[in-house]
Amino acid sequence: MKKRAITRRDFLRVAAMSPFAGAFAYGFRIQEKKEAEKSAKVVLIRDKNALISFKKPNPGVIQKMLDDSITTLLGESDPVSAWKKLVKPSDIVGIKSNVWRPIPTTSEVEQALKARVMDAGVAEDNIGIDDRGVRRNRLFKDATVLINARPARTHHWSGMGGCIKNHIMFVPWPPAYHGDSCADLATLWYKHNLKERTKLNVLLMLNPQFHGIGPHNYSDKYVWEYKGILVSQDPVAVDAIGVRILQAKRREYFGEDRPLQPPAKHIYLADTRHNLGVSDPDKIELIKLGWEEGILI
Amino acid sequence: MEDTPKDDKIALGDLLPQEINGWQAETKDELYDPQTIFDYIDGAGEVYRSYNFKQLLARRFTKEGKPDIVADLFDMDTSKDAFGVFTHDLEGEDAGIGQGSTYNGGLLSFWKDRFFVSLYSEEETEDTRKALFALGEKVASSIQKEGKKPDIVSLLPSENLAEKSAHYFHNHMILNYHFYVSDENILLLDQQTEAALGIYREDNERSYILVVRYPEGKKASQAYESFMLSYMPDATELGLVQTEDLKWTGAKLHQDFVIIIFNAPSRFLATGTIEKVEDRIGQI
Repeated sequence: MKKRAITRRDFLRVAAMSPFAGAFAYGFRIQEKKEAEKSAKVVLIRDKNALISFKKPNPGVIQKMLDDSITTLLGESDPVSAWKKLVKPSDIVGIKSNVWRPIPTTSEVEQALKARVMDAGVAEDNIGIDDRGVRRNRLFKDATVLINARPARTHHWSGMGGCIKNHIMFVPWPPAYHGDSCADLATLWYKHNLKERTKLNVLLMLNPQFHGIGPHNYSDKYVWEYKGILVSQDPVAVDAIGVRILQAKRREYFGEDRPLQPPAKHIYLADTRHNLGVSDPDKIELIKLGWEEGILI
Repeated sequence: MEDTPKDDKIALGDLLPQEINGWQAETKDELYDPQTIFDYIDGAGEVYRSYNFKQLLARRFTKEGKPDIVADLFDMDTSKDAFGVFTHDLEGEDAGIGQGSTYNGGLLSFWKDRFFVSLYSEEETEDTRKALFALGEKVASSIQKEGKKPDIVSLLPSENLAEKSAHYFHNHMILNYHFYVSDENILLLDQQTEAALGIYREDNERSYILVVRYPEGKKASQAYESFMLSYMPDATELGLVQTEDLKWTGAKLHQDFVIIIFNAPSRFLATGTIEKVEDRIGQI
């Protein structure tokens, strides 16, 4: 049977029935599969001392932010116990980073994650940090555990670059996923056995980008010092919270509701079409820690 | 004003200087084509591919203690597409360079002839701003000819057309970028179709006029039927429907054109606007 086209009018219908008028702006909340009851947990931590200067993280503060958020996420009292829930000494661990020049994951974050993986008993030789070379990197080919860490930013073709998209480097030809504004990015998590192996998603909100311009889709003008980190074991939930913060910043900055161009529908379809995780804010337990000023959510 | 003929060989590198305000070009330029552009600008490459670009030359300029400047020079093959890709992102102040330009947050963009030029500083300072404008002037003056804008853009009524809101494009991915219509290509847009989209503002209301020209009337007819079936199967005989947000959408087939107005505040405005576009078609 031919698939029926989803049109703008479908979203207008949802918006008309919804108690919140922003349904179209935020997502593609058309349920494509009957959902089983599911939920997710996301921790947002902020610290006003997270950055030494613009784009330069404070290593000690970053380590503490990661420790506090991950122990809260996993219900442990100390970071090593928490990390032992994610990795075991025999694991080979790939820390999937992001090297995008204007806003990279940063070595401060990479090293903070690596330190705790080692504290949990994994040998340094069995820990890789990589982005664009993951398909050639032996440690990533053999990885039994992946830690997914990248900054949040608007993206010219998918709406938002977040944790779901960060695994695109595992595919041989990334443009193959560009169709319909990267609607089906979530499928790569299944095709490349990433869903089970990714034990932690870290969406960096230290200096997120809320708007993009030009071929490089970047200007410092549209980056702000939010000084936050989101962590979750659910890549969809962490992106769903991240995109709400970006949208809130856009509303604050532009003085009107300006949806992302294009909408980051891959986040919602990762849930409703591909069952990768939870995108509905009502089903996400969001725990907020630390600095509250300008939290936007 | 005609496009530089395609057999008029211009080496892209010759259009850019080696030095500007103390910033020196790195020794090696980078060249990209529609297959390799993703290596350079990731998913944004889809935008330039959708405008049929042929080649991109990227040159990085450096100066001790200053942010780098990146010059990206796109050969779009035709002036229509150079203009079109320029209209993809119109935010910013008019920089007065080339045949149309904007400056915003450390990014200077302009088009001239069949070229689209993006000049970008990795951080914005007063010095980089001056250098970008100087570089822009230099590049624009080294492009000798001017090109024609696509005439379909002139079909958009000018009354209430929001400033810097007229976009020219070919395919449905770009349409959806500016105004989401459908996940499927229900208007049968492709690299041969030409489309103009205008955003209209009146009393805080926003409506959208889309005009699409197909290579032939038969294709336009098929596209019109496809759109009506998918988007407004409940339309009246006049091609009008009141949508769920209580606004009006109207569509009409006119020769090899399909004309659509979305979000019109009234049915009268919807029909009146379509008639205006039809009148303009008669004039081109």
